[in-house]
Amino acid sequence: MTTLKANELETGQALPDLDFKTTTTVVAGGAIASRDYTPVHHDKAAAISQGLPDMFMNILTTQGICSRYVTDWAGPDAIVTRVKTKLGGPNMPGDTLKIRGKVLSTDGDAAEIEVTGNNAWGNHVTATFSLRLPA
Amino acid sequence: MSDEKKQALEAEIRSYVGKPIGPEVIGRDPVNEPMIRQWCDAMGESHPAYLDVDGAKGTVHGEIVAPPTMLQAWVMEGWDMHEGYDEPKNEQHRLHKLLADNGYTGVLGTNTEENYTRYLKLGETVKALTVIDEISEEKATGAGIGYFITTKTAFENQDGEELGSMSFRVLRFKPANPQPTASAAGGEEAVAQKPSRIKPPMGHDNGWWWERVADDGVIPIQRCTSCEKLRHPPRPMCDGCGHQGFDSIDASGKATLTTYTVVHYPQFPGYEYPIISIIVDLEEGERMASSLIDCEREDVKIGMALEAVIHEDDDGFKIPLFKPAS
Amino acid sequence: MPTTLHNEAAIAGIGQTAYSKNSGVSELQLATEAVRAAIDDAGIHPSEVDGLVTYTMDSSDEVEVARTVGIGDMTYWSQVNYGGGAAVGLITHAAMAVATGQAKNVVVYRALNGRSGQRMGQGVSGNIISSDLIHWSWYMPFGLLTPASWIALQANLYMEKYGATSEHLAHVAITQRMHAQNNPNAAMYGKPMTMDDYMNSRMVCEPLRLFDCCQEDDGGVALLITTPERAKDMKQKPAVMRAVTQASFEGQEQMTSFYRDDLAALPEMELAAKIVYEMSGLGPKDIDASCLYDAFTPEILMQLEAFGFCGKGEAKDFVTADSLTIGGALPNNTHGGLLSEAYMHGVNNIAEGVRLIRGESCNQPENVEHVLVTSGVGVPTGAVIFGQA
Repeated sequence: MTTLKANELETGQALPDLDFKTTTTVVAGGAIASRDYTPVHHDKAAAISQGLPDMFMNILTTQGICSRYVTDWAGPDAIVTRVKTKLGGPNMPGDTLKIRGKVLSTDGDAAEIEVTGNNAWGNHVTATFSLRLPA
Repeated sequence: MSDEKKQALEAEIRSYVGKPIGPEVIGRDPVNEPMIRQWCDAMGESHPAYLDVDGAKGTVHGEIVAPPTMLQAWVMEGWDMHEGYDEPKNEQHRLHKLLADNGYTGVLGTNTEENYTRYLKLGETVKALTVIDEISEEKATGAGIGYFITTKTAFENQDGEELGSMSFRVLRFKPANPQPTASAAGGEEAVAQKPSRIKPPMGHDNGWWWERVADDGVIPIQRCTSCEKLRHPPRPMCDGCGHQGFDSIDASGKATLTTYTVVHYPQFPGYEYPIISIIVDLEEGERMASSLIDCEREDVKIGMALEAVIHEDDDGFKIPLFKPAS
Repeated sequence: MPTTLHNEAAIAGIGQTAYSKNSGVSELQLATEAVRAAIDDAGIHPSEVDGLVTYTMDSSDEVEVARTVGIGDMTYWSQVNYGGGAAVGLITHAAMAVATGQAKNVVVYRALNGRSGQRMGQGVSGNIISSDLIHWSWYMPFGLLTPASWIALQANLYMEKYGATSEHLAHVAITQRMHAQNNPNAAMYGKPMTMDDYMNSRMVCEPLRLFDCCQEDDGGVALLITTPERAKDMKQKPAVMRAVTQASFEGQEQMTSFYRDDLAALPEMELAAKIVYEMSGLGPKDIDASCLYDAFTPEILMQLEAFGFCGKGEAKDFVTADSLTIGGALPNNTHGGLLSEAYMHGVNNIAEGVRLIRGESCNQPENVEHVLVTSGVGVPTGAVIFGQA
């Protein structure tokens, strides 16, 4: 597996699309793997009592999925140094999270990648990943 | 809330700024392979440096490391979180309860920023100290009026070595439109429905048009049955001769792009952004609004040839859209 | 009986509330505070007011305002439709009422919790079947849900046709922001803007960036209209209406007049220009300052052409020559306008027109004889030319 170099990237360049199918297992599994036992992330009844139709993905799972989306593309030697996220609407079982990415900028061995995740409810997450790439 | 009461509340919440939310949290388990593997399973992660010794050797890391976004997971409270926090357990809970008791009942995570100094190695113990960093002025937001509360967490290992930091911003607000909540009787009908595009109301003057789109899969153009003048959007009288009778012809679907805008914000549930919204000149001479699909932003040109497609949404709604002519 | 409104009415009082993002009070309170301030400014008693005019979109009914303010008997009231297009319509109605003797002193007002309450920038929705809602339904399903999206369709074509660019729009935004730096009442007071700030603001609906769009604010504005004769006995120097009119052009829709041949022009504004120039006997060269409706920056370019300040397609060169600044050929929106003072649906722009005639603007140019003020763009609209008494 090779890793992209910063000087191989072009501003605006798109990452391959990922349509991520969200299931109850994914939401609950992600929550427990991140040790987030808040009931709304694994218990549908608890989510309904808060006015949502179903349990919803926790932030750490969203970040984990976006992170692997970026490094699957960039390669194993890409180092994530920073993640900024803007949080939007919920992502729930049955939702297809449409993950899209593009290169925002490069500077030396550093690159900024914007990742958006949208579903039928609208924007779920917009994240900016800072990467350090091989020279 | 009276001005006096408001000032007192503001003074009290401001007193939390700069306070640690509680003592330093020490991760229950050191960084370990089983938790990393469980994380990778759930995230669909196959990064060699996270999963096997030999794979890791082939990367810049040279040994197994934890996924960077897992940083906070090492110090999460875990099981106890399922009991909720009706009784505040730390300063952060007390601040939130204070605001909730004063009507700011809504809470919404809005932003995070995590900085990773380096990837974590097996055997390290993560320690975290969280401080209430900032409370905004009262702001008007789409969700309602409220305060943005930012906490900052510093992560270090057992030797005091810096691992990274996190800031987390939440909005504590008075809900402008209270969310529907399920009744005690378990009425699931109160639950929000998955949003879809805003539908046209079907009235005498326009319902027939949408029915023809759905039933016949065409774009109809209204035609006066007296002078045969075409008109779009449909209206109940011919502006040429005053006659009220009408029928319709089927547009060929061939059109040219008159003008367009790429809509980015604000984003409404039920739509996928950005949207290329367009005005087209139909071959028959009438104009209509629609949106353009199957076309890259940079390929959009005023005057380009288009063809209609009758698009069906997930909820079965049919709507005429356009794509570049083949 | 007058046959035109030339010199038949004057604005003798202006009043406004503070502008904010969260007024914390009702729209009725904002309305009545502004109305009372306009009456006090004119130096008369509320009981001398016998007419009220507002927007159909306003939530404060005339009689509620009258009772609250202490206005007694009334012989005239009306409401004007089409959002910001109503602004000059209010004073047209009031002028007709005082010119015919139907009322003596009419106050017009607009008050809104435009940020903390119902927000216009958040789009239209609803499920009552009216001709208006069916009209919107030809756009809503296609994602055309906000004023910015509707205006962007016309602006894009205009810019493509005449080679106008973001830099040209930036000139409008930056000039008005600069004006607001001398206006302590402006929402953007103390917040100057550079070309970089402008270019870095996010795209909302291409070609419109965030800073091409007006704000959303809470507040209220009111104006007191009477005859020039009666105005002589009041406290302030009146702004006399040399000409005033409403204007809707063939094929007009509310924000979506996409069905005319040339989308890169504003025929309703050309109609308004023709009428106010004819009625006043004045021309573009006689106008010393303006408050052109500025919900979105491209509207300024298109209006400069509609009112004959420059030729078709030449507005981009007109604005880059700093013409809209205080020392320029046409100082425009000297208070900051809807972009940088507040979005009071255009009525605050009329109030600034009055201040320019009085010589009381926070950015007062020298020798102002005539001021042009317009209302909403892309909607049935109107225009007024103020002159000295």
